[in-house]
Amino acid sequence: MSTEVNPSSSPSTSQQQVTPVQRKLQKILDLKLESDKDLIESLKYLSTFFNENSVRTRRSLRSTIEKRSLTLNDQFEECFRVVKQQLDQVNDTVTSMSTCCEDMTQRLKNVKAQTQELINKTTQIQNENQELNMKSSITEGFIERFQLTPNELNALRTTRDGFLHPEFFNVLKRVKSIYQDCKLLLRTNQQTIGLEIMEQMALHQESAYERLYRWLQSECRLLTAESPEISKLVSEALDGLKERQVLFKYVLDEYGTARRNALVRGFIDALTRGGPGGMPRPIELSSHDPLRYVGDMLAWTHQSTASEREYAEILLRKLKDWNELQKTIQTLLGYITEGLCRPLRVRLEQVLVSQHEPVTLYKLTNLLKFYETTIKQLLPVDCQLVLVLDEVSNLSSKMFLNALNATATRLIEKVDMPTNDLNLSDELRRTLALLRDILETHSTSMIPFESKRTDFQQIVYSIVDPLLQMCSLSAAKLGVIEMAVYLVNCVSAIRTTLAVFAFTDEKIEMLEGQIDANTDTLIGEQATYILLRTDLLDAYRIVEKQQQESNANSNALALKPGMDTVTLKAAMIKFDSYLASPDLYIMPQLKYLTSAVSREKIKKRSVELICAAYASLYSAIMDSKNSYANPYSIMPHTPEQIVKLLS
Amino acid sequence: MANQGPYNYSYIFKYIIIGDMGVGKSCLLHQFTEKKFMADCPHTIGVEFGTRIIEVNGQKIKLQIWDTAGQERFRAVTRSYYRGAAGALMVYDITRRATYNHLSGWLTDARSLTNPNTVIFLIGNKGDLDGQREVTYDEAKRFAEENDLLFLETSAKTGDHVEDAFIETARKIYQNIQDGSLDLNAAESGVQPKPTTTSRSPNGASGTDGSGPSGDSKCQC
Repeated sequence: MSTEVNPSSSPSTSQQQVTPVQRKLQKILDLKLESDKDLIESLKYLSTFFNENSVRTRRSLRSTIEKRSLTLNDQFEECFRVVKQQLDQVNDTVTSMSTCCEDMTQRLKNVKAQTQELINKTTQIQNENQELNMKSSITEGFIERFQLTPNELNALRTTRDGFLHPEFFNVLKRVKSIYQDCKLLLRTNQQTIGLEIMEQMALHQESAYERLYRWLQSECRLLTAESPEISKLVSEALDGLKERQVLFKYVLDEYGTARRNALVRGFIDALTRGGPGGMPRPIELSSHDPLRYVGDMLAWTHQSTASEREYAEILLRKLKDWNELQKTIQTLLGYITEGLCRPLRVRLEQVLVSQHEPVTLYKLTNLLKFYETTIKQLLPVDCQLVLVLDEVSNLSSKMFLNALNATATRLIEKVDMPTNDLNLSDELRRTLALLRDILETHSTSMIPFESKRTDFQQIVYSIVDPLLQMCSLSAAKLGVIEMAVYLVNCVSAIRTTLAVFAFTDEKIEMLEGQIDANTDTLIGEQATYILLRTDLLDAYRIVEKQQQESNANSNALALKPGMDTVTLKAAMIKFDSYLASPDLYIMPQLKYLTSAVSREKIKKRSVELICAAYASLYSAIMDSKNSYANPYSIMPHTPEQIVKLLS
Repeated sequence: MANQGPYNYSYIFKYIIIGDMGVGKSCLLHQFTEKKFMADCPHTIGVEFGTRIIEVNGQKIKLQIWDTAGQERFRAVTRSYYRGAAGALMVYDITRRATYNHLSGWLTDARSLTNPNTVIFLIGNKGDLDGQREVTYDEAKRFAEENDLLFLETSAKTGDHVEDAFIETARKIYQNIQDGSLDLNAAESGVQPKPTTTSRSPNGASGTDGSGPSGDSKCQC
């Protein structure tokens, strides 16, 4: 409506007015109404309500339009209000939503913040949890490794009935290994726990050992049967206890005591009751026979010792160390067999004391020595039983030697003159018989070869020397020849007795020396006897003397008294009769010689002496310086002829 | 639980080996315990002793064997070892008639010095020397039958029948135990029961031990 023209505008400004008018006109002219859509639309719309083209209408057009416009505006406003209201509502809603959202966001933010913390915490807790789990499994592992389970603890504990739990040793082994492992712990920084566990395990171990000890002790106390039944468990337990030397020893002592009692009881039973139904018979039944009695007792001891050794080996079967095992067994055996000492010793001594017979005593000595050596092999050297056996066998040996010496002393105390036949006295014969008996026992005795030699010397010296002494004493009052005969007889008898036994060479040599010396005496005497009987003795002595003296200033033999031809001739006649029957010229005492060999020897050797004497006499007579007128008439035989005649 | 160790056995049987000098008693023992022949076996001094565990009817039995000296001079000593022997092995030498002839003396000793249940086993040793035989198998067999002895010819050198002799003796003793004719609880029966089971009861609680140990179990809580 700005295009409205206002012609009453001030003409003062014509120029200027023109131009705007022009411009307006121009503008109007330029208006192409047909192309102005708005105008068309407006007109179209106008046509809708402008039905009557009248003045009035034309006049009121404007207002109508305005009215219409107003109405429309009203309408529009009305419509728009609703819209606005709705929009407002929407706005409100949106705003509230927004606040709500904001709120929510805020809250979410808060929650998120809070959750974060929670998550952090959770993670932390989870980590902790994991860590704890790990720790727990480690701890469990640790406990499993370093602690005992209740079951295991149970196994270690005492049960009412006193049985040993079969798991006992495994648990004990575990306790030990734990204890060992703790040492490893101590090397780490876990020393406190290590020490604590060690202490705990040590306590367990201690109580377990204590319990093992008690159990073993009571088990061992029951091992008193003749043959004990030693279970594997006992052996195992004993081996387990080995680490506690003191307890181990106590248990062995307990076992030893039990076995010792069993052994003594067994011994007494064997002595007094014998086997089942009295077979084998009780040993005491043979107590009248000392050898049998002693032998049976000692054989029983030997066998029982061997059995005890086996039992001990069974008991200690778990011990690994061989040397230690042997040592332990030996000690144990020594202790066990100690019980036998008293009953055995009393009986052995009783037997010995009641014996006086040297031969029996000697046999007993041998028996005792034999068993001493035999039993010694099973036992320690220093154990009581060995000592007792040693003592008893020494006692026996001493008693034997005493008996022997007593016999010998009796010999010397009661020396009789030899009988007329110069033979052995009864005493000597008896003693020799005794010696033979003893030596027979000796050579068949069971003792080792070497100790036989020393034994022998003692026996021989105890008997033979006094015998010799006795012979010399009893011969003291005899003449030289009788004495020599008697001594040869006696010594030969002794020699013959000894000759059949071993170890006698030295003594025999000595005896033979004595025999030879006495035989030599007899030979000399025999020769002298012959010379005396044939009156040649003086002549022979003179010749001998002359030969010894220096030859220079000696007188001729023929001039000496008793050396004259007549005397010599007479003597030679006697000598001839000797040559004819030499057996008549044997000393009467020689027939008492018991040994024919000696007699022959004396005869032969004396003949040799006679021959030698004849030879020297012959050469003296033949010697021209001795001035025999006709020496051949004095001595018709040459010495060679004499030797021939006499041999 | 089965322990095959050397100490697991149910009984100990005591044996004695007797016979003349040089018949091979020690060699038999050596062959039995060591499974070896001892060529230059020295004379036994007094008595010697060997052990071995055998099995009879599934029972482990420990044989405690006392080998005696045959020499006359030891007779006084060896006589004392007959006591309480459950088995006596009486040995002669098939190549030396004299050793066979002396058997009756040995038998008298064995009978009078052991208990009536003692199992006596006659052994003709040196079976490997058949060429020098002086005692026939039949003759000895007859002697054994007459005297109620078990009999075998053995060779300690080759080991022939050595085991059999020892084990047969044990079997017979074991049989006596089963029959009840051998009273285990009597002292010096020569047999000592030694069940491997542990019993807390002292010996003598049960007289019917014949069936042997019933197992290794031991009741415990």
